[in-house]
Amino acid sequence: MSNHIDTSAYSAVTAAIRSEAARLLAGGEVSAVIGYLPARRKGSAQPAIITSADQAAELIFSPACVNNLAVYLTKAKKEVPKSGRIAITAKSCDMRALAGLIGESQLQRSDIHIIGLPCPGVLSSVADPSALLTTDTVASKCLECEFNLPQGADFTPAVNVTPPRGPSRYAAEIARLEAMTPAERWSFWKEQFSKCIRCYACRQVCPFCYCEQCVCDRNRPQMVETTPRPAGNLAWHIIRAIHLSGRCAGCAECERVCPMDIPLNLLNRKMARELKELYDYEAGFEPQEKGPLNSYLEKDDQSFIK
Amino acid sequence: MHPEKAKHDFEPKIIAFVCTWCTYAGADLAGTSRMQYPANVRVLKFPCTGRIDPAFILKAFQQGADGVLISGCHPGDCHYISGNFHARRRFAAFRKLLEFIGVDLSRIQFSWVSAAEGGKWVEVVTDLTERVRSLGPMQEFRELALEEQWSGAINTPELQEIYDQI
Repeated sequence: MSNHIDTSAYSAVTAAIRSEAARLLAGGEVSAVIGYLPARRKGSAQPAIITSADQAAELIFSPACVNNLAVYLTKAKKEVPKSGRIAITAKSCDMRALAGLIGESQLQRSDIHIIGLPCPGVLSSVADPSALLTTDTVASKCLECEFNLPQGADFTPAVNVTPPRGPSRYAAEIARLEAMTPAERWSFWKEQFSKCIRCYACRQVCPFCYCEQCVCDRNRPQMVETTPRPAGNLAWHIIRAIHLSGRCAGCAECERVCPMDIPLNLLNRKMARELKELYDYEAGFEPQEKGPLNSYLEKDDQSFIK
Repeated sequence: MHPEKAKHDFEPKIIAFVCTWCTYAGADLAGTSRMQYPANVRVLKFPCTGRIDPAFILKAFQQGADGVLISGCHPGDCHYISGNFHARRRFAAFRKLLEFIGVDLSRIQFSWVSAAEGGKWVEVVTDLTERVRSLGPMQEFRELALEEQWSGAINTPELQEIYDQI
């Protein structure tokens, strides 16, 4: 049963970000704006960095603006000019990633100008970019999204949006897996991870994978086998999940870019849920100096320790 | 002097990651007090439980361990003040992840053993060894290590068809 999602907000948001970007660039407040431009394929969009006020009129926001642009501000993307302030357009999921990066001292809040995007949802990775946004074609993360209006942005267009309503796909899948026996879960993940070709697109696109050298690339000592064989794949995905737990903002970019359709965000969502339960932590809009796994309380649960 | 050793069909390999200040000293005490504990355990000494990376556990299983023991100072006794508190959170999360992947958690034991608790070390090691022995060898990681990326089936109809065309 698919329901249409009200997409009337997109044109209003597009108009608002165009004028805001033009104002910022013309006044010299920022040196660049990271946003979306139309791409060649009909209806599609691509991330772009614009530096002149003339280009601001080309900026768009549409259901095809799936990318989390926060990744362009991390250490891993040194090519983005660091001179002066930079404006970035961000959906609320992207804003959580920005908050996480600020919390981890990868960004200074004063160096960025956030243009918040009221977002009724974006298309899933399998949907055609020109497809109509319905509860079937919307990305799974959007069905879980509670914040369609970003909070704490420097500028947010005054547009009201109605969030997509539908049953959460992640919750259903996590419940399905949790009901299985460990052996069944193992064979499920074994099959999923066996598909992995180790292209590291998940790492490349993740705003939080900003390490100069990934532990999985080191070969002395080699913690993770680098060839795309099942043993190394399993280790890579487990280490990826544990390194992101307590940090992941839930933008689901890893899952979107995976060419082999491995349900990577399922692991992230499961860990987020566990950390919420154990330490009452949730990724939010407010930068936090310490995450749940680099802080502690003396009264933490230790029932599993003998 | 020594009690008669029981013969077993399967001797599990247990890797113990221990902190040098408490559990290593506790195991040392067990030894100097001439307490008997299973020789299945291979002790690896770390500065602190906070130094023990979840990747080490994975690596241990991949290299053929049947069980893993992680042991350090009691909360509040850490030589580095808070290393074991951090480790406690990290392993609580890691356990949940392994459980979700489908790893049998009864093969992984966490414990606090102080430098004075030689007896507790013997008890922890004996319990884990007996438990893992009854579970049998850890097959999952071993099988995974032997698998190749492709299915290994070289006589599929599709391949046969292509072969016939050649």
